Amino acid sequence: MAFGIKRGVRFQILSESDFDRIHWGTLHILEKVGVQVDSVACRKLLKDNGCEVDESKRIAKIPSHLVEEALSKKKTSITLAARDPKYDAKLDLDHSYMTANGNGAVAVDFETGERRPSTKKDVADSSRIIDYLQNVHIHWPMVSSTDKHPSVVHLHDLDASMSNTQKHIMYETGVTLSDAKHLTEIGYIAAGGEKEFRHRPIHSCLQCTYAPLQHDAGVMDASLYFAEHGVPLVFFGMPQPGATGPVTLVGSLVVGNAEVLSALVMTQLHAPGSAVIYGMGNAPLDMRTTIRAGGSPEHAISSAIATELAHYYGMPSCVGVSATAKVPGDQAVLEYYTGCVGPLLAGADLMCGVGLLEDSSCLFYEQIVIDNEIVGSIARLIRGEWADDDTMALDIIEKVGVGKNFLAQKHTMQHLRAGEHFMPDLIDRRSFDAWSASGSKSLVDKAREKTRWILENHRVPPLDADTQKRVDAVIEKAKKPMWGGETKRD
Amino acid sequence: MADGKEAILSELENSVKNLQEEAAMEAARKALSAGVSPIDAIEKGLAKGIRQVGEKFERKEMFVVELIYAAEIMSNAIKILEPELRKSKEKRNVLAHVVLGTVAGDIHDIGKNLVRIMLEASGFEVRDIGKDAPIDGFISAAKEMGAEIVGASSLMTTTVSVQKEVVDALRSGGIEAPLMVGGAAVTEAWAKEIGAVYSSDAGSAVSVAKSLVGKGG
Repeated sequence: MAFGIKRGVRFQILSESDFDRIHWGTLHILEKVGVQVDSVACRKLLKDNGCEVDESKRIAKIPSHLVEEALSKKKTSITLAARDPKYDAKLDLDHSYMTANGNGAVAVDFETGERRPSTKKDVADSSRIIDYLQNVHIHWPMVSSTDKHPSVVHLHDLDASMSNTQKHIMYETGVTLSDAKHLTEIGYIAAGGEKEFRHRPIHSCLQCTYAPLQHDAGVMDASLYFAEHGVPLVFFGMPQPGATGPVTLVGSLVVGNAEVLSALVMTQLHAPGSAVIYGMGNAPLDMRTTIRAGGSPEHAISSAIATELAHYYGMPSCVGVSATAKVPGDQAVLEYYTGCVGPLLAGADLMCGVGLLEDSSCLFYEQIVIDNEIVGSIARLIRGEWADDDTMALDIIEKVGVGKNFLAQKHTMQHLRAGEHFMPDLIDRRSFDAWSASGSKSLVDKAREKTRWILENHRVPPLDADTQKRVDAVIEKAKKPMWGGETKRD
Repeated sequence: MADGKEAILSELENSVKNLQEEAAMEAARKALSAGVSPIDAIEKGLAKGIRQVGEKFERKEMFVVELIYAAEIMSNAIKILEPELRKSKEKRNVLAHVVLGTVAGDIHDIGKNLVRIMLEASGFEVRDIGKDAPIDGFISAAKEMGAEIVGASSLMTTTVSVQKEVVDALRSGGIEAPLMVGGAAVTEAWAKEIGAVYSSDAGSAVSVAKSLVGKGG
């Protein structure tokens, strides 16, 4: 069976003329306003290629022909490979893939319920849960190994992920040149060499741009390194409508688009043909609480129109979903369902990601399992329907005739087995009596039971001893004093 | 010969368990030509298969349509065994005899059919009097087969009251067999009120029926 969510339904929110307007408007902003580029190397690159660069303000104005050239140079066929090839995610505009959410710093202990800083064990355990669940296709290190030496936390995150899932790993921690070098080195070791990694990139990096219209020095230096070394990139714009972008969703899309396209220009000038995925996660600032409104309808529709724009450019999209809920349950379900269904109906290629609450900062293990069920339901919603001899079933209708039923038909059985009807795992459709007789369990109760089962039973084959030894050596080598002194953490 | 018989019995069991209709027919024909007793063919072969399907359905590992399909395979295989079965002096070893029907005025019989399949799979002999079944149909069928249990199903709120008429008719007809009621419109409280026993779905119908005849559950 093919990996990922096959999709046959596609909303169309923006029209062709909307795309042209947004594209031309973005080119106008890039030429007229420009973007702030903090990386010296990137400013030189842009200047050498004809951009007008103001060194004192670090602003580069990018002529439209560079954008058009970058769009024509980028890699169009991207496969995010996995340690186990059955989990390879082909970004073919025909399948959607769900990712984990990433990089939270807090976890709620599954046993004690204590809300505490996350540890490497949390990264490992959540990776195993992601590995097990069939509706989450791409892994992100979900939280940070804050119990490890601060200079190598992100390398421990990758290490714990690699040993606990065979799915593709996307990290978002390659934010300095030295981080990029170590992360890439670990990727090459895990893939069995540079050539093997370039052929089958088992890791990728998501990079956030800074709204409005800014590029961090470390992030862009790292990005050039990744692009040159065959690590696929996502550039992820995140203007917040009303705060760091115009309050209108399309206005914020223009801001984010200018950021993503200018990052694309820099990578394609430096490493033509490198793999770049179009990312966007525009959730508005909630004007009553000043919290980012993850999982709001505006977040969902922003991700949907960003997906449409990515496809207009011939690029796969990676768009965001999150939730502001503090605990698993009704609000988290409402936010995650809203946040996922909009973009997936619009054809999102990568949807990031499941399992964190408090706007992508706090890990609840059972939330991953609940979100997996949400995605399963949406997968059925977007599969598409079509009328052919088999689906019309005229012969079966004729055979059964008037007043009988279709229960015992082979046609019924075959289609059920092929997934014609979504079979929920947590949603309880039994009678009141059957439900109450087995303990009147809520969806969250059932998710906790399933989570416990996964933690107790699901095992992932470890990396071979030599690979693990070499990964450990990279981490040891990368460790350096922080804040002018040593910490006690290893 | 003993080995051959064992092999045929497991073919019967597996063909039902794995929903292979052709294989079930073939195994039933083999059983006849090899002189396997039809009672054994059913009880040590086909019924063992359908019990496993029923258990998988209970555990949500199989779809209801697969259970129904398996029951159909079994009943088609039994049709092949039937001529021998009639000649045989052996009696099927049944847990109890049950009359089952959807009450008059109601044509919803899918749930009732599931109860029949599950009861048969568990070793009960069931006489199904169908849907929209008249009250005296329950009485005469119960008398004829010496039923230890009578089951009446109703999906609609407009026909649950007929269950009370069934129980009254059973008692005035001198039949002491308990009435088991179920269906979407039925509640435990209603069952108590009319002096019947409630079961909420096909799975619980089996355990309720077993406890009614003192065979566990």
